[in-house]
Amino acid sequence: MAEIFDRLIIRILLAFFVCLMIYLYRYAHVIFYPSVKRQVLKTINPAENPADSLHLFSRIVGIAIIFSSITFNESSGFFLSIFHFAVWGALAIILYLLSLYIIESIVFYNFDYTDEILKRKNMSYAVISFCHAIVIAYLTRTVMMEAENSLVILMVLWLYMLVIVGFSVKYFTFISKLTFNRLMIQKNLSLCFSYGGFSLGAGLIIASCFDQEHYDITVYCIQVLLKTILSLLIFPIFKKGLMKIFPVKLGDDRGHEGTLDHNIQSLGYGFYEGCVFIAGALLTTMIVNRIQFGIIYPFF
Amino acid sequence: MYKFFLYTMLMILYLGLAKTLSPSEIGIHYLQNARGFSKIITSPDTTVILVDTHATGFLIKTYYQKYRVISGYDNVEELIVRTNKDFAIKNLSNIGLSLYRRNRDKEEFLPLPPGSIYLGNNEFGSWKKNKKGKSYWIFNKAFKNFPRYLGWGTFRPTEEFYQELLLKKSQNLPYYGLNEEFGPNGKVTQENFPQFFKEERLKKVELKSLLIEYFKENF
Repeated sequence: MAEIFDRLIIRILLAFFVCLMIYLYRYAHVIFYPSVKRQVLKTINPAENPADSLHLFSRIVGIAIIFSSITFNESSGFFLSIFHFAVWGALAIILYLLSLYIIESIVFYNFDYTDEILKRKNMSYAVISFCHAIVIAYLTRTVMMEAENSLVILMVLWLYMLVIVGFSVKYFTFISKLTFNRLMIQKNLSLCFSYGGFSLGAGLIIASCFDQEHYDITVYCIQVLLKTILSLLIFPIFKKGLMKIFPVKLGDDRGHEGTLDHNIQSLGYGFYEGCVFIAGALLTTMIVNRIQFGIIYPFF
Repeated sequence: MYKFFLYTMLMILYLGLAKTLSPSEIGIHYLQNARGFSKIITSPDTTVILVDTHATGFLIKTYYQKYRVISGYDNVEELIVRTNKDFAIKNLSNIGLSLYRRNRDKEEFLPLPPGSIYLGNNEFGSWKKNKKGKSYWIFNKAFKNFPRYLGWGTFRPTEEFYQELLLKKSQNLPYYGLNEEFGPNGKVTQENFPQFFKEERLKKVELKSLLIEYFKENF
């Protein structure tokens, strides 16, 4: 009984410690986003600005996703396991916020947080930001798990992941009919669902490329690169296939001017593209990672 | 058109990178024909015996061959090479035979029974007569394991076997033994290279039995 009670106390104490780390994250957030000082450090009123609430809380979901991958090794002692969590938790916060900062600088290079969220309450910006937060968190989590407590490997893989994500976000303009900058200015929700589906799909593909056994970092990085290029080859097949199997009607039969543009910018088309991207990405991960060709060398 | 060009370039990039960087492509020799052994095998008094052959792939097959490399004064090694379809299929009838031999001064590419390079060479053994007066090749003590390495089992070549071998060599014809002991139909090869002759590898797969087996295993 005493042992069970002791373990319960340890769990409660560790839960409090994780809360403390999230509290620290609140302040770390301000370092990378100085303009959100008001938003982060004061009491938040969700009803006042839903876009702002979504923007902030998506990051909290993100940091929770990353923290969930860190393990406490209680057998090495309570304080040592807390120290381990503090070190890796702090690292996770820094890497996560840096990644978000870099990726959002690439995607929103024409837009500013203060203008779009605080002044214009742009929900499209907030939803895209939410998807970024989730995807980056999931990828940082994957990279941290693959690093297996090695700081050097973590740094190499994190940089590698950032490069791949950086290139992948630019891929959206190739595969979507929606114009990112124009629709973002218009606060168009079709864009956010389409881009959201795209970024979640890309995140799934990249995470699956990183998720493999590794004994040698060079061979591992080569395998990740090859899988990423392979995914780029397979994904368009599924995207085209799904769009052929489920064709959508765009524009008016009578050819009224502007109806095509209106239909593309509709919420329905955003859902359609977003779902096609996610489904295509999931099927791509299956083709890239789930086919076992077997090994004959040197066993035959 | 632009997207198609980009897709093609991406495919070429993938194939090129996979070929250059893939671990399965590194460290395995490609053998165009038996003459390719000249670059791989450098030790003298070496014989290379074809042990097994295997094909992988669905539409485009890749052929692999496994060889046993026996050097007079080195260790016995296993060598796996990639090869082309013609060479692989042609040599299906030469399983258990030596496809390449390197003496101190020359190379031989004719399929011959394993160990033929050592017969008649006094450094490795000598002819000894049995009670019936028949001469057999016996390896010296230092090479007592060679019959096992060469896949002879209990078989020992006679002088008659050797004379026939020399005759076939002079005629540039492959040789499978006096009673065809070597090769895919030879008893000695079948006994000493059992992996190639495994029952499950020889039997033809029927769709019906394959499906029945699948349902038995999975449901």
